[in-house]
Amino acid sequence: MTAVSPSTTTRTPSPTRHPGPSERPVKPSRLSSKLIWLLVTLVVVAAFWSVDISWDALLTLPQKLVHYLGLMFLPPAWSKLPDALGATMLSVAMAWFGTLIGIVISFPLSLLATRGLMPAVVRWPLRGLFAVLRAVPEVVIAVLMLSVTGLTAFTGALAIAIGSIGTLGKWGYESFEAVERGAIEATTAAGASRTQVMRWGVWTNAKPDVLAFWLYRFEISVRASAILGLIGAGGIGKMLVDNIQFRVWDVVGMLMIVVVVVTMIIDQLSGMVRHRIIEGRWELPVVTALRRRSARRAREESIELKAASHD
Amino acid sequence: MSVAGLGASRAGTLRRPSAGGPGTAGGSARPTKPRTGWKSLVALLVVAGITVWSAIAVGVDFGALIENANNASNTLIQLVQPDYSFFPQTVPALVETVQMAIIGTAVSVIIALPISFWASRATNPNSVALGIVRFVMNVVRSVPDLLYASLFVTVIGTGALSGVFALVLFNLGIMVKLISEALDGLDRGGQEASLATGATWFKANRQAMLPEVAPTYISQTIYVLELNIRASTVIGLVGAGGLGMLIDKVRTFYQYHYLSLIIFEILVIIVLLELLSSFARKRLIK
Repeated sequence: MTAVSPSTTTRTPSPTRHPGPSERPVKPSRLSSKLIWLLVTLVVVAAFWSVDISWDALLTLPQKLVHYLGLMFLPPAWSKLPDALGATMLSVAMAWFGTLIGIVISFPLSLLATRGLMPAVVRWPLRGLFAVLRAVPEVVIAVLMLSVTGLTAFTGALAIAIGSIGTLGKWGYESFEAVERGAIEATTAAGASRTQVMRWGVWTNAKPDVLAFWLYRFEISVRASAILGLIGAGGIGKMLVDNIQFRVWDVVGMLMIVVVVVTMIIDQLSGMVRHRIIEGRWELPVVTALRRRSARRAREESIELKAASHD
Repeated sequence: MSVAGLGASRAGTLRRPSAGGPGTAGGSARPTKPRTGWKSLVALLVVAGITVWSAIAVGVDFGALIENANNASNTLIQLVQPDYSFFPQTVPALVETVQMAIIGTAVSVIIALPISFWASRATNPNSVALGIVRFVMNVVRSVPDLLYASLFVTVIGTGALSGVFALVLFNLGIMVKLISEALDGLDRGGQEASLATGATWFKANRQAMLPEVAPTYISQTIYVLELNIRASTVIGLVGAGGLGMLIDKVRTFYQYHYLSLIIFEILVIIVLLELLSSFARKRLIK
């Protein structure tokens, strides 16, 4: 049947050699996608229409924004920079310590959640726990922690620790499962026990990925710790929110610059160590990006040259 | 070094049975282990040093923690018993959270589209303009959402409008980065053809690049909506509307059985949205 149909379709237009304008393929009616677009538009319009916002505030916004930006950055209060750096250090310390506790707790748990190493009875509850922890925003965990144990930098670090267990656990068991079966089979064949399989078959292979994930999580934690400060856990965030509340705008401007610069520096440093772990060489992420860009350009040029030489 | 050593010793083991003469390695013919011990020791020391420093800075005190936890047992009991009768009162805040997320997403993806074309090397031939917009977007992206929210709350006042602004700025950075990177990776043949027929860059991008990037654009929009639902539940903590504001209120009055209900609701919304978005993305790929 299928073999016949193409021949019939090719034969039918043969009397008229050139297909007329009426014979172009019928446009598929995309009813379902039109309906989805309609639905999306309706939802957006409904949201705009029903939300409790007085849009008049928009009219004065531009001049307000210019005014406040002027207050903040012309010039920023550099005299408070030492305080800001101290507070930043506290934020970074919170992030580091929190991530470390998270690693210590999540590492054994993610091994227990790995397929092939543990039975499903152990695995699924742990995976559920990771999923729930990932779904709760860090700030909400912090609010819970703070209402139980009070407001300190230490509880902020603990909130970060709990928040990072979810992501680290998931990344952990995913990279353990991605380990090639060969190494595990070899260790099993050599008579290794379950712990020895984990140590010599799984861990040695997954190590670079896992270390890189830990560092990446630290980068996320640095951002999170600034946010936790905003709800009172100390560090740069607390200094920011205090100055915003007392409307000391030039200090706020300086602090924002510090937050942005410190986040960028830590991303670069941590990216450099990650590059060392995975590629075996030291390199700043900026340099990697530049190198990749110039390599791409060189490749494009060589393609153009080839094309030119063919002509 | 280690590779050469490995090769030599392997040759040794191969030769041993046949020749068996002097010069070949003895019983321990396995390759010498590369010496990286001191490097990992240094790395370990650095990590340990930073950890000790951070522990001192943070002020680790497990004793006080346990003491507080004992005092807070009442709080914990309230937390594990959510009060469902509070639900009707949370509905307006819940709706506001979703509204903020939808409006924030809609506005930011519309603004982000032209900026992404501006920020991609593939669609913007002017490298100076490219550098400027990329730098600005990097800065915009590195400010946390809650910080935007608290700034807008002081400038505009409490309420959903500040929340929407915070979300828009927060999304803009992410969206522009994702879309401009997608544009960078596109096949530029269509664009080159349009340019060759005499189209302006704007026309070429509109006709050749926009349809190519459209699927990515839609799927990233869904992703941003997902991020926004998460963010809009918490930005209220600094006064920017939604469930967060309610959290702040019940927390100040120590109504923990209300607090746990709100957190439960947040969990439900986030999980529902994740299901929806993964479904939508699957449809999109197909």
